[in-house]
Amino acid sequence: MPRLLTVQDLVVEVPGRNIKILNGVSFSLDAGQTLGLVGESGCGKSMTCYAIGNMLPRGLGQAGGSISFGSGESGSERPTIAMIFQDPTSSLNPVHTIGYYLETALYRHQRLRGNDARLEAMRLLERVGIDNAKSRLGAYPHQFSGGMNQRVMIAHALAAKPQLLIADEPTTALDVTMQAQILYLLEELKAETGMALMIVSHDLGVIARLADKAAVMYCGKIVETAPVEQIIQNPSHPYARALINCMPSIDPADHQPPVPIPGSVPLLDDLPQGCYYNPRCPRAAGECFKRFPPLAPVAQAHNVACYHPVAA
Amino acid sequence: MSAPLLETRNLTKAFGQKTGWLAKPKILCASSSIDLQLNARERLGIVGESGSGKSTLGRLILGLTPPTEGEIFFEGVNHKARSLQGWKQFRVRTSLVQQNPLSALNPQMTIGEQISEGLLVHHFASRAASYERAAAMLDQVGLSSAMMSRYPHQMSGGQRQRVVIARALILDPKLVVFDEAVSALDVSVQAQVVALLRDLWQQRDLAYVFITHDLRVVRHVVDRIAVMYLGRVVETGDIKSVYEWPRHPYTRALLASVPSMDPTIRNIQPPINGELDPGKIAGGCPFRPRCPFAIERCGTEAPLLRDVAGQRVACHRAEEFPRSVQMGKEVA
Ligand SMILES: Nc1ncnc2c1ncn2[C@@H]1O[C@H](COP(=O)(O)OP(=O)(O)O)[C@@H](O)[C@H]1O
Ligand SMILES: Nc1ncnc2c1ncn2[C@@H]1O[C@H](COP(=O)(O)OP(=O)(O)O)[C@@H](O)[C@H]1O
Ligand code: SF4
Ligand SMILES: [Mg+2]
Ligand SMILES: [Mg+2]
Repeated sequence: MPRLLTVQDLVVEVPGRNIKILNGVSFSLDAGQTLGLVGESGCGKSMTCYAIGNMLPRGLGQAGGSISFGSGESGSERPTIAMIFQDPTSSLNPVHTIGYYLETALYRHQRLRGNDARLEAMRLLERVGIDNAKSRLGAYPHQFSGGMNQRVMIAHALAAKPQLLIADEPTTALDVTMQAQILYLLEELKAETGMALMIVSHDLGVIARLADKAAVMYCGKIVETAPVEQIIQNPSHPYARALINCMPSIDPADHQPPVPIPGSVPLLDDLPQGCYYNPRCPRAAGECFKRFPPLAPVAQAHNVACYHPVAA
Repeated sequence: MSAPLLETRNLTKAFGQKTGWLAKPKILCASSSIDLQLNARERLGIVGESGSGKSTLGRLILGLTPPTEGEIFFEGVNHKARSLQGWKQFRVRTSLVQQNPLSALNPQMTIGEQISEGLLVHHFASRAASYERAAAMLDQVGLSSAMMSRYPHQMSGGQRQRVVIARALILDPKLVVFDEAVSALDVSVQAQVVALLRDLWQQRDLAYVFITHDLRVVRHVVDRIAVMYLGRVVETGDIKSVYEWPRHPYTRALLASVPSMDPTIRNIQPPINGELDPGKIAGGCPFRPRCPFAIERCGTEAPLLRDVAGQRVACHRAEEFPRSVQMGKEVA
C-alpha cells in the first residue's frame, strides 16, 4: 500500500513556557491502514490528532518536525482527513438539525444541494445505522443519545469521503454494548471505503480489535510502535508491558487481579532527567537517568525507546 | 443465622416524566421489585448499561431518595421506622463514594480537614485526635501524611480518589456504596484503586456495593454480582459462576461486548443492537425488543427471577444457553 502520512519528530509547544506537549513524535501510516494510539490521559494523543488534522488549539504551535503526505515529495497533495471525537453531543451544534449539519457538509465536500443533498444525507444516516432516516433529518442533537450522535458524527465524516478518519476516543463515553456496535460499524466502513483509520483509545481492547499497528505514548513521546499483535502479546517497552498488565482480565480462568503501575505520570513542566518513565520503571539503571533513549528498531517494524527493552 | 446487614424487599422507584405541556406524567421505573440481601463483609457488584437504574438503587439503599414502594432494612431496622437519631447512626455506619473526586471534594478545605471532618461533626474525637486519625487513614490509602495540608487541586486524579475513599472510611462504616468510583480513572490508576480496595476490605469489617458499567473491573473486587436491565435485576449470582456461565441473554451480551485483548478477534457483529429505551417497557420480558433469543412466550409473560443452577435468572430460556461466552464474539 502507498504511504499516506509520515510524521517526523513532531514537536508542539506551549509558547513562552518551556513545555513540549509533543516532544518528537514519529510514525507513518499507509493508505487503508489502521493505527492505534494508546497511553494514559495527558500523554498527547489528542494533540497528535489535532496536529495531523491541522486543527491545533489556538495558542499552540508546531515548533518542530514535519507532517508530510503521500510519497513525501513536494507537490504531494494533502489527503482528505475527517475527525470524530469522544463527546459527540457537545461537538454537534445544538441549534442545527441533523439534516442541516449533514447537508452543509455534503455541499462543502461534494457540492451536493437541494434534493440530492437530502437523499445523500438520508443514505448516510441509514448507512451508519439510524432508522427512519427521513424523519431523523429534522431532529436536533439533544434529542439523540450519545450513541446516536456518534453515528451522526460518523455520517458527517463520511460526507467528506475521507482517505483518513481520525477517531479520538470515539467509544469512551459509550456503554460497552454501544461500543461493540460502533466498532463493528467502523470495521465495515473501513472495508467499504478503503480509508485509513487512526484510532485513539486508552482501552487496549479497542486497539487490539481495530488496529494493524499500534503506538504507545508517554509524556509527549512515542515509546513503542509495532504491529498490534506484537504490542499486545510481546510488548518490549516496560511501560507498554505495564499498561497491558494493568488491564483487568475478563477471562474466567484468569484470576490474577490487575497489576498497578507504581507512582503517577510526571507533569510536563517537571519531567525527570533521562527517560521520563524512569521513576516508575523496574528496569531503570545507568543511562536511563541521563538521556531520553532514542526510538530504535528491535525487530521488523518494531521500534522501542528504551535502554533495557524486555526481550521478545 | 443472624439477619443480613442489608435487605431490600420488593423495592420500587418510579419517576414521573412529563412528556409535554399538560401531558399526564409518564411513569418511568428506575427500579422495580428489587430483592437484595447483603451480609456483613459481603461485596456486591451492580452492572448494566447507563440508565438501567444502578445509581437509583444505590441512593435508595442509602436512604438518599425514598422508594415508591417496598422496604429497606439495614442491620434489621426498616428505613421507614428510623428515628432522627436512627438516621444519624445510619449515616455513621454507611457511606457513598461517587465518580468525580474533584467535585466531591471541597476546594477550600485542606485534605486533612476534609478527612477528619466526619469525626468532628459526630463528636467522635477532639480536633487533635481526629487529625491524627486522619493522617493514619491517609497512610492506609497509600498517601503520605504530608498531603494533609494540601488542597484538592494540588493532587492528581488518582490521589483525589484515594482521599475520597479515606474520607468515606474514616468513621469505619459497615456498608459503602461505590458508584462508578473508578470509571473515570486511567487503567493504571484504576488498578491502583482496585488493589487498595482489596487491601482495605481485607483489613476491615466492611461490606460494599460496587456500582459500575465496567465489566472488566468489577470482576476483581466483588463476591457477587447483580445485572440490571431497565430497573430490574435480570441475573444475580456468585461472580465466578456468572462469568463462567452467564445464563441471561443480557448478561451474555454485556460480556460478549467487551473487546477481547486477542487481536485476531475482529469484524465481530455486535451481540445486541440498539440501546436501552425506557419508553419501550411493554408487557412480557423487558429485554425482549433487543433479545436475539426471544420467543412468543417472551412477549406475553414476564419472566420472574428463578433459580437456575445456583444463579437467579429472569429469562424463560435460561437453561438453553451454552457454558462459555466467547469474549468479543457473538453470543451462542
Ligand atoms: N491549550 C493548552 N495549553 C497548554 N497545555 C495544554 C493545552 N491543551 C492540552 N494541554 C496539555 O497537553 C497535554 C496533552 O494533552 P492531550 O493531547 O489532550 O492528551 P490525551 O489526549 O493523551 O489525554 C496534557 O498534559 C494537557 O494538559
Ligand atoms: N431524579 C430523577 N428524575 C427523573 N428520572 C430519573 C431521576 N433519576 C434517575 N432517573 C431515570 O431513572 C433511570 C435510571 O437512572 P440511573 O439510576 O441514574 O441509572 P444508572 O445509574 O444505571 O445509569 C434513567 O432512565 C433516568 O433517566
Ligand atoms: S425471556 Fe425471552 S426475551 Fe427475555 S431474555 Fe429470555 S429469551 Fe430473551
Ligand atoms: Mg484526549
Ligand atoms: Mg449511574
